[in-house]
Amino acid sequence: MRLIRQNIERKTGAGSATLLPEEPEDMWHAYNLIRPTDLLRASAIRKVVTESGSGSRSNERVHMTLTIRVTKLDFDPQAAQLHVSGRVAVENKHVKLGSFHTLDLELQRNFTLEKAEGWDSVALDTLKEAINQDAKAQLWAVVMQEGLANICLITDHQTILRQRVEVNLPKKRAGSTDHDKSLQRFYQTTFDSLLRQLDLANPKPLLLASPGFTAGSFHQFIKTQASNGGNKQIQQLVPKITVAHSASGHLHSLAEVLASPAVTSKLSDTKFARETQLMDRFFELIRKDDARAWYGPKECELAVERGAVGKGGGVLLISNSLFRSQNIQTRKRWVRLVDEVKEGGGEVRVFSSMHESGKRLEGLGGIATILTWPIEDLDEEVDGVQEGQDMPDEDGVDGGVDGIEGVSGHDEDIDFL
Amino acid sequence: MQRVKNLGYDEDEPYDDEDDVYEEEADPGYTAEDKDNFAALTPVVRAELEEAGVQASDKDIGDSLWHYYWDVDKSASYLKNSRTPRTQQQGAKKEDKPKAKSKFDEAAQKSAEKAADWFRDVPWTHIPPEMEGRIVPEEPAMPMPKLLGGSSKLAKLAEERREKAAAAANVAQIPAPNGVLSSLDRLSKPQDTKENDTPQPKAEPKKYPIRKKREPTPPPKEPTPPPPEPEEEKPDLRASPTGFGRTLASSQLSGHRAASMTLKDMLGSEITEDPFKGPSPDDTVLRAQQHSKGLTNTSKTKQSSTNGLAKKTEALKLGENTPSAPAQPKVRSRGLDVPKLWAEEKSKRKASAAFVVIGHVDHGKSTLMGRLLLDAGAVSQRDVDRYQKQATELGKSSFALAWVMDTGTEERERGVTVDIAQHHFSTDSVAFTILDAPGHRDFVPNMIGGASMADLAVLVVDANQLESGMKGQTREHVLLAKAVGLKRIVVAVNKLDSTAPNAWSQDMFQEVKGNVVKFLGESGFAKEDVMVVPCSGLSGENVAKAPEASGPAAWVAETDLTLLKALEQSVPSEVSGDALKRPLRMQVADVFRGGITNPLSVSGRMTAGNAQAADAVLVQPSGETAAVRGVEVNGEPRDYAVAGQICTLHLTDIDPIHIRSGDVVCSAAQPVSVVTSFLAKIEALDSLLPQSVDVHLGRLHVAGNISQLVATVDTKGETLKKKPRMVKAGQTALLKVTVEDDVPVEDGETVVLRAQGGTVGFGTIERTSA
Repeated sequence: MRLIRQNIERKTGAGSATLLPEEPEDMWHAYNLIRPTDLLRASAIRKVVTESGSGSRSNERVHMTLTIRVTKLDFDPQAAQLHVSGRVAVENKHVKLGSFHTLDLELQRNFTLEKAEGWDSVALDTLKEAINQDAKAQLWAVVMQEGLANICLITDHQTILRQRVEVNLPKKRAGSTDHDKSLQRFYQTTFDSLLRQLDLANPKPLLLASPGFTAGSFHQFIKTQASNGGNKQIQQLVPKITVAHSASGHLHSLAEVLASPAVTSKLSDTKFARETQLMDRFFELIRKDDARAWYGPKECELAVERGAVGKGGGVLLISNSLFRSQNIQTRKRWVRLVDEVKEGGGEVRVFSSMHESGKRLEGLGGIATILTWPIEDLDEEVDGVQEGQDMPDEDGVDGGVDGIEGVSGHDEDIDFL
Repeated sequence: MQRVKNLGYDEDEPYDDEDDVYEEEADPGYTAEDKDNFAALTPVVRAELEEAGVQASDKDIGDSLWHYYWDVDKSASYLKNSRTPRTQQQGAKKEDKPKAKSKFDEAAQKSAEKAADWFRDVPWTHIPPEMEGRIVPEEPAMPMPKLLGGSSKLAKLAEERREKAAAAANVAQIPAPNGVLSSLDRLSKPQDTKENDTPQPKAEPKKYPIRKKREPTPPPKEPTPPPPEPEEEKPDLRASPTGFGRTLASSQLSGHRAASMTLKDMLGSEITEDPFKGPSPDDTVLRAQQHSKGLTNTSKTKQSSTNGLAKKTEALKLGENTPSAPAQPKVRSRGLDVPKLWAEEKSKRKASAAFVVIGHVDHGKSTLMGRLLLDAGAVSQRDVDRYQKQATELGKSSFALAWVMDTGTEERERGVTVDIAQHHFSTDSVAFTILDAPGHRDFVPNMIGGASMADLAVLVVDANQLESGMKGQTREHVLLAKAVGLKRIVVAVNKLDSTAPNAWSQDMFQEVKGNVVKFLGESGFAKEDVMVVPCSGLSGENVAKAPEASGPAAWVAETDLTLLKALEQSVPSEVSGDALKRPLRMQVADVFRGGITNPLSVSGRMTAGNAQAADAVLVQPSGETAAVRGVEVNGEPRDYAVAGQICTLHLTDIDPIHIRSGDVVCSAAQPVSVVTSFLAKIEALDSLLPQSVDVHLGRLHVAGNISQLVATVDTKGETLKKKPRMVKAGQTALLKVTVEDDVPVEDGETVVLRAQGGTVGFGTIERTSA
């Protein structure tokens, strides 16, 4: 994503940013940036019905630039499309104020975003991440077991399941070659599906992972196809294949695969490596029943309130799905929590809910902390003070402002501000 | 020979004339002239033969003279060749004979008594043309294997019916005269239809031993004037064909024979119902009787008793179809009362048990089972020798026995079992099914599937490598066996022939035994349910046979049972009759093509209920209905299958895409529920958090999540703590588990949770409607 221009005020966070999405992944960033109640301006095509004086109607498709106040977002990860619905906020000669429109954001077309509540720290971080041009690791992975293959694309922020191949394999039985035949057919189907997904002109690394020998055999199958077919492009793909071991053919095994050294060495994705490391540490602690590791919204809030997530190892792990909440108050609550931790010197990691490590965090309710010092029986205290916890604080906006100041220390790469 | 050729096969009716000639002659063959010739030439030939020291009967000489048309020279050399060498000269010839006739006379002489008798009840040589004309279009595309048909029984049945009908009254009409012919029809026909028949080829007299019958290319449509010919003359007397003609004809003939065989088999199997479809002769008779006299039940009961198992339902259905209705391969229910039959047949059948073979990888599970099958006689030594040869070529000669179980190409190449192998064998008292599980950690999902089908477990432990196994899959497998509810376990301490420093070290065995029994006790197996036997799969001691009294393993025979004996003693009691009466439940372990007649078959263990042909079943989670076409248990067709058996159901009326392994075949009336989340009581083997897990329900393996830790509970089910932060290893907890796909489950089923390649918990489903 390219930042075309911005006029965000540091103090209040007011102002707008104009962005140019360049690749499908940018839609994911846009999805995380745009929130309900924001103002979004983008080009649109709208069917306009005009009624002439004689009463005859004519339909016309009109290109125009519309500004809408966002009410709903719809993201399709497979197709990388973002549909933003809202009510028209700026009237023009074709469209009345307040009428509904759904903008389909398109690649290579500018859109301008203005935050209703101002740009908070999390939004600015997201923006910073979105316009970061380097580290565009991309990797294709096929996680498989006999009869099942998940073909997915792994990017910095997403793991996108592109195709799932499921074939019923007859079991081995003496004197029958049905199993072998079906297995070959399964490889062929998977290979064909994979080729439809891959951009062979510009091959990305391909990771094959499975329990047992399935991935190895499939690797062999691709090699055979490459040498038989005489297709140069497939031959170029072969050296880019890595075979790894996974515990099962289900997609969640991918986390384990991506964390293995054989794969991390091939991936330039340091963000992911760090996130995986943190998640592993968290699970390790909780497995040891260490009172420094807690998960769940209330527990984490309470811990942060007590200042336990601070300097010297305090980490807040939070999934970006929490910031996508429809409810502004809820969003503010999380932003405030993030800012509080940053203020206290702790580390905040925003996990992508579409990524494998993020999915592990999602299981825990989307938020977890590693505390600086242990707090025993935090959960029981939470039960005790349950009342009033969900009440949103009005000073959330202030927190947001503070957050921006807190961030200012390390924003040399967002000197556009 | 040349003269025979001149006869010309294409002549339309050369035989009829000849047949006429035969009739006039009392002696089938020779005219007065011929006899003169015989009288004159036989002594000459005999003299020649005697000169060469060859003995021959008058008849033989006569034959050869006939054959060579009075050419003494040739006759003699023929006889000489057929007995001992010798030559002679003579040159009396007869030219004015009808050429072929002599040959046919001769053939007639032989075949009249011999060939005709021999082939009398071989109907295909006498298939009348009109019959063939009808058969041909009905030929199935592929010949059907003979074994499939139960034709003989049905033929007998049909015969009985026919006789009875004929005896009862002459009202009985032969069902469907134009339709398919019953076996009986075919048997009775040849005699009746003779007259209209073109003479059919017969086997040649033994002089031409290789010669077969020849297809006459009969002109079926052409009405042949029926010569009033006596029965004896009938056998046909055609000269032997040329090699070319023979080739053509014999191949055609064999094709035809296959077709007619097929039809017969079809009559036996496919169109099984045919005799019962139309109003049976009995019914016709009964009806007639009812109209006239009001006769009732007596003959009806008789009929059902001949029918054996068929019940009233069938009798009721008999009248429904018209006799001309096309033969549908649709399965018809026999309406068996399976639980009752099962209880009745209890005394007649052997005990049966399925055992799963578990243990760490490379501890010799497959090899031990190969040995067991070999020694129990379920696999021939020849097969094993063949495997031995092939394995040696691959440089893996020690894997030969394992190849009995490991039939997959990949398994053989790599020497590792990948999937469950199923094999059946029986001893004098018990019918066993082996489920050989893979030991490798990556294939534990398959092992869970296999264990869920078993009645007991055989744990194979390498005596030399107990430690590695205990750290690895020996431990995990034992826990999983416990998890899926196996109660009895037989421990085979394997590879005792290679213990160091001395083979068959008794101390080593005792030590291993102690450790394993202790571990099994900790895992929750009752002491009386555990048996330990020493053995060696590779060399075969104490597997099915006790070791020799003189070897180092001699002590074994005194102290321990053989593995096979131990297995026989561990066979659990049969499933109770209640399980049979519950609605059908069977988890599909495999979906495959059972053959041409059964394009879609599923196998698995029936956990509840029973099934028989024509039952309507429902496949969950797809929710598609299917009909059972046939039932097999242990590879043999059965009338029904019941809970506790590992069986194969042949299904129809369903598309294969609706069935995968792991699905549940259940009764259509009371289907199993399909859910995406459930509440389970899980015993944790590792600490559990809300996390991604692999959920195993028998053969079913789906991705899922622990979405909520509801509470930890104690052994009595009392809640210890609600919403715990985590569940520690060893604790029992109620968990809410969500799965990514719809799964068919029921309360009380066993569920195993795995993560990162290890088992993290197991338990039972408490509530599916979570």
